[in-house]
Amino acid sequence: MSLNISIDGKTCTCESGEFLLEVARRNGFYIPTLCAHESLSEQGCCRVCIVEIVSGERSQIVVSCVYPVERAIEVLTNSEKVKALRGMTLALLQKLAPASSLIAGMCKAYGAPELPRLEARADDDTCILCGLCVKACAQLGTGAIAAVNRGIEKKIATPYDQPSATCIGCASCAQVCPTGSIVVKQDAQERSIWGRTFTLLACDRCGVILDTTEAVAYAATLRDAPPEHLCPDCRKQQVAQAFVGVYGK
Amino acid sequence: MPEPEKNVTVQDIEAIARKYPAEKRFALAIMQDVQREFSYLPQPVFEVIHRHIGTPVAHLYALATFYKALSLKPKGQNVIKLCDGTACHMRGASNLSKGIRAALDIEPGESSADGLFSLELVNCVGSCALAPVMVINETYYGKVTMESLPAIIAEHRRASCEDTAASCETEVVA
Ligand code: SF4
Ligand code: FES
Repeated sequence: MSLNISIDGKTCTCESGEFLLEVARRNGFYIPTLCAHESLSEQGCCRVCIVEIVSGERSQIVVSCVYPVERAIEVLTNSEKVKALRGMTLALLQKLAPASSLIAGMCKAYGAPELPRLEARADDDTCILCGLCVKACAQLGTGAIAAVNRGIEKKIATPYDQPSATCIGCASCAQVCPTGSIVVKQDAQERSIWGRTFTLLACDRCGVILDTTEAVAYAATLRDAPPEHLCPDCRKQQVAQAFVGVYGK
Repeated sequence: MPEPEKNVTVQDIEAIARKYPAEKRFALAIMQDVQREFSYLPQPVFEVIHRHIGTPVAHLYALATFYKALSLKPKGQNVIKLCDGTACHMRGASNLSKGIRAALDIEPGESSADGLFSLELVNCVGSCALAPVMVINETYYGKVTMESLPAIIAEHRRASCEDTAASCETEVVA
């Protein structure tokens, strides 16, 4: 069922049940987000994507990335209320991740208040504990990291902080992390992540880096095929050449 | 590090895990049983449960670190829970903590060298009228003072020594 909603005065059409953030983005509105990732299902934990919904006298703050639109509503993405709450949310996130330049920048841009009486976590912390990395790793089927401990001691780690035997070094966790919190060191031969060093495999033809040996092997088991040894480009060329051999006379 | 009471083997843990159907929802129940049996979760526990129910080791480890009732280090035979809630704090729980340190040489979160005692700080056991409160195993002690503390500890030490004659050569005089 189609619905018409108003976002900052503009009429937008959407399907019932669509998430508000998606509708707003499609219609050219910018709502800041941290924990929303297009290929991972709703996390809804950073709360910077909040917006205000007004109907008559009543107004309500909702989390746009996980709010399904189900009736004609009037949305304000940048009302005074939203600005104040978003600023406070960011100020609190900064206490979690005082070393994150992204969060610092957002705090500045959205006028986050200073909270001198609240103690920040360790000076070098950049993680907002959104859990995207854990989700990415779990979705891949590896599940090498998780949020361990709780309360102020909570952190993302491998068991016992030891190099993990299940990690394949694919660095998907680092790719989805909004604050660039996961340290990956890489040169032409090796990649180090979560305390473990992996050997990289290069394309047999052009030498471009494919992935770690373990990640290539893991992908092969998922496809139930022998491990890939060519990059996507060279693979295409090879297939094309095979066709030329068959038909191209 | 106190030695675990028994030498835990992978087979011991497997036997516990196998009592439960191979379903993810039994992870916590298995861990609780292992904790009860060995007074902590030895490292192989996660691998064993992973093989049984399929949940990744890291996720099981996360679960274990979330619950205070589960511990990665061997707990003492007698678990002292010292309340440091508001009322007990005001009535000198920190002093008692020092008293326990003097008697057993342990800080909150640690176990004594003989494996007889471990100390945990907890926040309110719901008996504020009796502050400061200390719970050893299942027994509540109210209005504990520095004077009454040594006798309470000695009582539990004696009880444990009667049970397991082996681990009690070092009678510490508090
Ligand atoms: S490391 Fe990054 S992705 Fe993982 S919880 Fe922290 S901020 Fe989120
Ligand atoms: S982006 Fe919506 S809660 Fe994080």
